Amino acid sequence: MVKYSYYPGNVARQSSREVEDTIQPLCNSLGIELIEIVGYNGDGGNIIKQGNKELQLALNARNLALAEMNGHEIITACASAQGILHDSLETFQNDPIALANANRVLERTTGMTLDSSEISTNHLLHVLVDEIGLDKVEAAVVNPLDLDIACYYGPHMQMKGACGGDDPWNPDYMERLITALGGRPVEYKSKTSSVGNPSLLSLGDSVMKMTARVLNDAKKAGAQILVSACTQSHSNLDSYQGKAGRVANKDTNIPVVNFTEIVAFALGHFTDRFAQLKTRAMMIGS
Amino acid sequence: MPTVAKVWIEEDCITCDACQDILPEVFEVTDDTSYIKADVREDGSFDRNIGFSSIKNEFRAEYSELIEEAADACPVEIIKFEYEGGVAEAVAEEVAPAAEVAAVPVAVADVGSDAGVLAGVLSGDRSLAIFFGSQTGNAAGLAEKTAKLAVAYGLEPTVIDMDAYDQSKFASHKRILIITSTWGEGEMPDNAEELWNATSASNPSLSGVHYSVCAIGDSSYDEFCKAGEDWDEKFAALGATRIVAMKMCDVDFDEPWSQWVAEVLPRIACVDSTGVFHEDLVEAMTAYGAGDEDDGADEGDFSPPSILHAPISLTMRIFRYDPIMAQSGYDTIAVALPGHATIEDALVAVKREADGSLTFRSGNIAGMNPLTGVKANGRIVPADTTRICDLVGNGSTLTVEPVPGYEVLKDLMVSYDRYDIARVDSKPWLEADPRQGERLASGAPMGVMNSADATSLHALADVGSLQLINAMSDTYDVDNVYSGPGIALQRWVRSQDPRSGDSHVKKMFGLMQGKGGVWDEADISSINRHGIDGSQAADSLYAARARLLAEFKFSGKSGRLVKAYSRSVKMSGNVNETTLYRSVLGPLGLGSNIMNGVSLRMMLGFTRNGGPLMRGFQGMLVPPAGIGKIPNMFNGKVANHHQVVAIFNELDRRF
Repeated sequence: MVKYSYYPGNVARQSSREVEDTIQPLCNSLGIELIEIVGYNGDGGNIIKQGNKELQLALNARNLALAEMNGHEIITACASAQGILHDSLETFQNDPIALANANRVLERTTGMTLDSSEISTNHLLHVLVDEIGLDKVEAAVVNPLDLDIACYYGPHMQMKGACGGDDPWNPDYMERLITALGGRPVEYKSKTSSVGNPSLLSLGDSVMKMTARVLNDAKKAGAQILVSACTQSHSNLDSYQGKAGRVANKDTNIPVVNFTEIVAFALGHFTDRFAQLKTRAMMIGS
Repeated sequence: MPTVAKVWIEEDCITCDACQDILPEVFEVTDDTSYIKADVREDGSFDRNIGFSSIKNEFRAEYSELIEEAADACPVEIIKFEYEGGVAEAVAEEVAPAAEVAAVPVAVADVGSDAGVLAGVLSGDRSLAIFFGSQTGNAAGLAEKTAKLAVAYGLEPTVIDMDAYDQSKFASHKRILIITSTWGEGEMPDNAEELWNATSASNPSLSGVHYSVCAIGDSSYDEFCKAGEDWDEKFAALGATRIVAMKMCDVDFDEPWSQWVAEVLPRIACVDSTGVFHEDLVEAMTAYGAGDEDDGADEGDFSPPSILHAPISLTMRIFRYDPIMAQSGYDTIAVALPGHATIEDALVAVKREADGSLTFRSGNIAGMNPLTGVKANGRIVPADTTRICDLVGNGSTLTVEPVPGYEVLKDLMVSYDRYDIARVDSKPWLEADPRQGERLASGAPMGVMNSADATSLHALADVGSLQLINAMSDTYDVDNVYSGPGIALQRWVRSQDPRSGDSHVKKMFGLMQGKGGVWDEADISSINRHGIDGSQAADSLYAARARLLAEFKFSGKSGRLVKAYSRSVKMSGNVNETTLYRSVLGPLGLGSNIMNGVSLRMMLGFTRNGGPLMRGFQGMLVPPAGIGKIPNMFNGKVANHHQVVAIFNELDRRF
């Protein structure tokens, strides 16, 4: 078993329980042990950063310091969380003043300090491809996906250093993984475009249009379902897809699932949910 | 692995049967050319498939690798294919002319210790004509390879098929290389025969031409390399200057051809634009072409880095838009060029050698032009200073599109009117406070600023192109009211300028806070990932928002979001979405979510994809109900929650 400090992100244990439901068994199937970061806090979602950049950095310094105490690299299943954690860590590694300031606050409030030189943050996708290996994943498949699948990465982790060995601008790790899981990846052009999740509650039409752009591009490319590597963006893509379609006057009707769900389904977990998903995909059509 | 979706045969098949031997199910070689078989094609036709019919789905996976193998094995490289999803592996000639292949038409500025010595010879016309006379494709292949190598010497090669070439144009070239085979008993290959006869009949003067010949043949024949000898003697007789003695290559031609190329390229590269050969520069040119020239390290403390990069071959997909016909699409062209060439170099080459109608904004020698931006494989970059090698590797595809967010005028050229109008409307220029500033001779007020302030102010918007910062935003092209992050940066800088008068600062804050201002940006991370410029712009946008929140006391939906989100994290250590929805959206927003189906989708389980339905109803039933975003609304406090509270209290007591 390979061990990682597990950071669930902001919503996996709140509104997106399906991520928490599925990440545990899928990691178990692939020999990944998720070590709890006891007492982890929200990463600020780049929303706290709008009011106070140092505050968001300090909150993330606490998470990183807790993971350092665990002694394992961090893993998360949310692209947004991965982007924010990586951004914070990079700041600490490259800016000793920022690290010193954060440590001053951290020591006073928690008794901990952050070293930052040894820790790293990873999205589950990159761990599966770079560390576990697609051959091992393929060997563990129980229920091949057998669907035309569009992969959504979003912009948050698509930066050099934050997305493993994948290409930040033209990523294909998820497509390769989908192929290994017995699915058929569908190429479309907006897979790294933002759907405006940080402004979902504060902006109206523009966020809906950004959401509709991704969904419609995937649909036009022939996808039956869309898989999101970003748990936060999933809310736009799924819950708001009807509204997005009406605002943008585009066809956005497509089942959207989280990345962890589709991997778990292929590995034989939650067969009932997988059956429901395939039924929805079949009824809606591409 | 991607599978091949289309395969077709280009002209000049030599009917060698190689493809048919590898994959007879797909390829059938007739007397004249190879055909794609009807059984595997969607259109059921039997021809070269230049209509690009797709391969039937059921055959793609099975034959994909063998098609690639056949294309690799084709000695004249005329088997082309395309992967599923439209990714061209070896697509060519939607715009390139058939006979004259625009191989490497790019000239690049030269940097290195020899650049000064060679500056004269490397300037001006650097064209090199490489003619091939070929019966089986071997000479044509060598001509292509020679062209790729010639670029390293600052040459602009063009590979020319002798077939149908007008002999009177020989004299227009200053540098000519001929690579020809010999056919039968000392005869010209078929494609060279007509040109040979015409040249022999007209005997044009070639006094201004420097040339060399590489002849390939079979030494078992009496007339070994006769065609090459004929050309060599003819050119000499017509007054051309032989720059390197003719090279005779036997059936194993690779090694002698390599020797010839290594000798001839640096020498012919020393022929300047007036046609004069500089023998004294050959040694320096040889080092320049090999990329191992002296770096000058022993001449001082500073060693300028080399910007030269090995030549690369790639497929360019260039967006085209015809405003008259209102039609758009992509042209695909195979090019080979120095890796250190810029995107603009490549576009200039395509325009010059393949399609003069291609339209794009060009930079100038003074440095980056902020208006030359393009979208290159998803990145927003200035075309005139972005190197090809920084974007793609050898054998890759480079897709070049106009920058998003602006009206496309033609092809890659956009109108920046939207930016200009927003800039004029916001007046982000200096309006000094008359009470504090100095006064000009005219009596008009002029602000003052010390150098430290000037430096920090400059850093707030230290980006190459504000127009391109706008294009980096994923919001800008869906929101016509949004003035864009580039405009926001200018307003932010002016608001922080100590010379600005109070009323002007207030005006800048008002514009940033209002409709079309800095809060219209839906996701700053889409800007942040665009390299140094994007990161700098994102930092300033976050700083501007923080200042606005303080100035306007968290008013408006965006202000409420930041406050409610922060308080949510402070109260439990995590995000409590139910309270967040209620606090930010308010009763009207929640009602809207119910009416437009958002809440329904959540409650009926779409989001949980089969998860327990009860979870969906918890958001409706359990206080504090959000009616629009669902469980787990009573997420408990994280372990050691007091630490989180202490961090908030330490850094920001507003929450």
